Amino acid sequence: MNAKATRAALGVTAGLMAGLAAASAVADEPRTLTVYTYDSFVAEWGPGPGIKEAFEARCGDCRLEFVALSGGVDLLQRLRLEGEGSAADLVLGLDMNLMAEARDLDLLAPHQADLSRLELPIAWDDPVFLPYDWGRFAFVYDSEALPEPPKSFAELLEAPEDLKVIIQDPRTSVTGLGLLLWMKRVYGDEAPAAWEKLNDHVLTVTGGWSQAYFSLFMNGEAPMVLSYSTSPAYHMAVEGTDRYQAAEFAEGHYLQVETAAMLKGSEHPALAREFLDFVLTPDFQRHIPLGNVMYPAIDLGEERPAVFDRLIEPESFTFTPDEVQEHRREWIREWLNASTR
Amino acid sequence: MASEAVTASEAPPRRRRLTRLPLWAGLAALTALVGLGLGSLGALLLQAPGISPSSLWQEPYLAGVLRFSLWQASLSTLASLGLAIPVAVALARRPRFVGRRLLLRVMELSLVIPSLIALFGLVAVHGRQGWAAPLWEALTGTPAGYLYGLSGIVLAHVFYNLPLAARLLLQELERAPAAHWRLAAQLGLGPRAIWRTLEWPAIRRLLPRLAALIFTLCFTSFAIVMTLGGGPSSTTLEVALYQALKFDNDLALAALLALTQLTICLGLWALALSQGGAPSLVAGDGPAPLHGRWQRRDALGASRLTDGLWLVALALLLLPPLAAVVVAGLGGVADLAGQASLWPALMRSLVMAAGAGSLALALGLSLLAGRGWLAARGRRLAAGLMEGSGQLILVLPALVLGTGLFLLLRPRLGGGWQGYGLVVLVNGFMALPFVMQVLRGALLGLPLAQRRLADQLDIQGMARFRWLLWPRLRRPAALALAYAMTLSLGDFSVIALFGSPSAPTLPMLLYQQLGSYRWQTAAATALVLLATVGALFMLLGWLTRRLPRYPLRDPLHDPLRPQPHATDRPEP
Repeated sequence: MNAKATRAALGVTAGLMAGLAAASAVADEPRTLTVYTYDSFVAEWGPGPGIKEAFEARCGDCRLEFVALSGGVDLLQRLRLEGEGSAADLVLGLDMNLMAEARDLDLLAPHQADLSRLELPIAWDDPVFLPYDWGRFAFVYDSEALPEPPKSFAELLEAPEDLKVIIQDPRTSVTGLGLLLWMKRVYGDEAPAAWEKLNDHVLTVTGGWSQAYFSLFMNGEAPMVLSYSTSPAYHMAVEGTDRYQAAEFAEGHYLQVETAAMLKGSEHPALAREFLDFVLTPDFQRHIPLGNVMYPAIDLGEERPAVFDRLIEPESFTFTPDEVQEHRREWIREWLNASTR
Repeated sequence: MASEAVTASEAPPRRRRLTRLPLWAGLAALTALVGLGLGSLGALLLQAPGISPSSLWQEPYLAGVLRFSLWQASLSTLASLGLAIPVAVALARRPRFVGRRLLLRVMELSLVIPSLIALFGLVAVHGRQGWAAPLWEALTGTPAGYLYGLSGIVLAHVFYNLPLAARLLLQELERAPAAHWRLAAQLGLGPRAIWRTLEWPAIRRLLPRLAALIFTLCFTSFAIVMTLGGGPSSTTLEVALYQALKFDNDLALAALLALTQLTICLGLWALALSQGGAPSLVAGDGPAPLHGRWQRRDALGASRLTDGLWLVALALLLLPPLAAVVVAGLGGVADLAGQASLWPALMRSLVMAAGAGSLALALGLSLLAGRGWLAARGRRLAAGLMEGSGQLILVLPALVLGTGLFLLLRPRLGGGWQGYGLVVLVNGFMALPFVMQVLRGALLGLPLAQRRLADQLDIQGMARFRWLLWPRLRRPAALALAYAMTLSLGDFSVIALFGSPSAPTLPMLLYQQLGSYRWQTAAATALVLLATVGALFMLLGWLTRRLPRYPLRDPLHDPLRPQPHATDRPEP
């Protein structure tokens, strides 16, 4: 009775599948390097397209194929689900806080890259994870709504209650987790009390950075939002406005380092290593500052956009990946208890 | 399949076997559905080292999450339904006013607006700096902070669900036989009597299913609750599930939470379905309203004012947030021209949506055909199960479905097109509940007399489809396709799960733009997405607007009579 509609539907579906298959057959050339990364990296104006072009020019007959997931946590989850059968040769975008768990999967191989070119605020000698950019978590404020931003965490906590901030949830967001670790690093055992004070200033807690920055902060809902100290660079360089700046906190800022790593099961290990060597060259790094809006991992010299000199330069610190892995659940629990009262 | 069916009508000896075709189609769809749904949940359960259901009530965090999920969903359902009733009554009482068709269209669209876009609009209108903030401050003397916290969640859920509920209630009200309205006019019944004899009985029939649907949608809400909830005390089961699955890799907890959600929502659906009465839940498949020609005494007097207020309130709830999205988007339209990835992304989204929509349509038709076959043979329970399975996907989180599929397909999910294929598959399944609701009225509402006549004349197979079903099916099928396609068009959660080889769909592009700080462009992309959804509804409505060659003529429906509004009916 529904045969016609069914047949039509099957026809459409089959056609669609065939079309997609044909499209991917073209892409499936030999020596294709598959890189798992997150979505904004591969965006038209992200660093991805420039990096792809530069690498393909360098390696000759190879191709670089990005597979974009929605964030670092999704990358980890994808690796975990695919296990040894993963189609990825490389994974780009696991940050320090996910490193320990990614290492435990036992899927990643040493990078063997030369680390001497690295320019990070912290020492780095990890054999598996190769940093490709870094940044600091910071509260970005709207200087028109808030001409006098707090100069320290303590000042923020003691500010009048009508100073509102938008933060993200550490259970679902990388930046949210960053703030949790930042607070823990600054306040230690006093963190729950500090959270209780901060919560008086929290307008709302969003699930992800996009909702916080786009739906709320850009709509003028609060004068401060949890983001990166590098966010103003984009506003200054591309939008040509000084309106949005990062507040510098005297206690120091928590550091985020994003890393690349290759998989043991890679079909083209030599090519993957070649890519990792390429990561710390200017050809890769020059796309980072305004493409990914983060600090490059090497000294770019003159090539670093001038607006980066106008960013805040606070002290920065981290926990080790192992400390994060060991305590993350406990600290999230602590935050929950302090925030649901 | 079709050619076989045609042969069937020409070759009587084989027909007995082939008349079982609907059953087989239904069974195949049922197997696919239950296999996918329970298979993915099962895969999760198998991987989980051990599940302790007692942690649900022993652990304060989980107990709190469960309590809050139930509380906000109940509240949102009550508010949405409670406000939808007077709105629907007002709409039914006023079959003619300027902008009524537009309002109805927007009401149908409300369900499929992606949450990121809806959030942007709601914040722009109701936020602390929103358009409504000065008004709120003038009225109450306090700054507008009502968007955050429970009130914000309920407001957003009412924004999503009130239009849906009111639209369906209106359809049910308009379905009352013309004779009832004639009688009401002749007796000169006043508002209270009309409410008691005509309106309330129609509304009451629909309420259980409608409440179950809205409750399920609110119970599983994620982005809205997180962003507007204010903090971690507003945590729903979906957030806990996300954390368990993604951050903690705690499959046991994830499976437990998914099972809890499944149990609660399915229990509710069973309760709702057992209340009897099975009116259709999605607008668009009913006959045109008939009572416009009978003078309603209650349309005069005070109700003119109150109806006007309800309709203005509805318009104020719905239109300003959408207008905010449009206004924001227009600012970035100039950037769109220089953007290479927008149109390919739009095309990709449309192709995938067409795939998902066709799949949902095929599955829905199969299930309903199988249900009809079983029901005609008196197997009520089996028929009910087959139809009910279409709702299963509504209560299974996409995250669980996706992760379970991954586990089932291990060791390797190839890159490239397989990812897209899976997205199409999951999106198709997720649209199924809505597709079924649109189609069921058309397929099950077939008058017995017509069916018997067709049986007596031995009209089977293709001919039966062509002459008996298709004329009734074409408009609902188009609407079902529109719903399914737009749900898939706006989907971000599933595509984000499987990833894409650097070729984004429209919602992915939107997130890419946000991640790269391109606010203006992102707003314009949101506008394109919204416009595409609107255009799709219009296009599919327009394509099927042509009168079938042999229109159904019901003596009560006079096609030559001017219709108050004829959106749901082939035009004469």
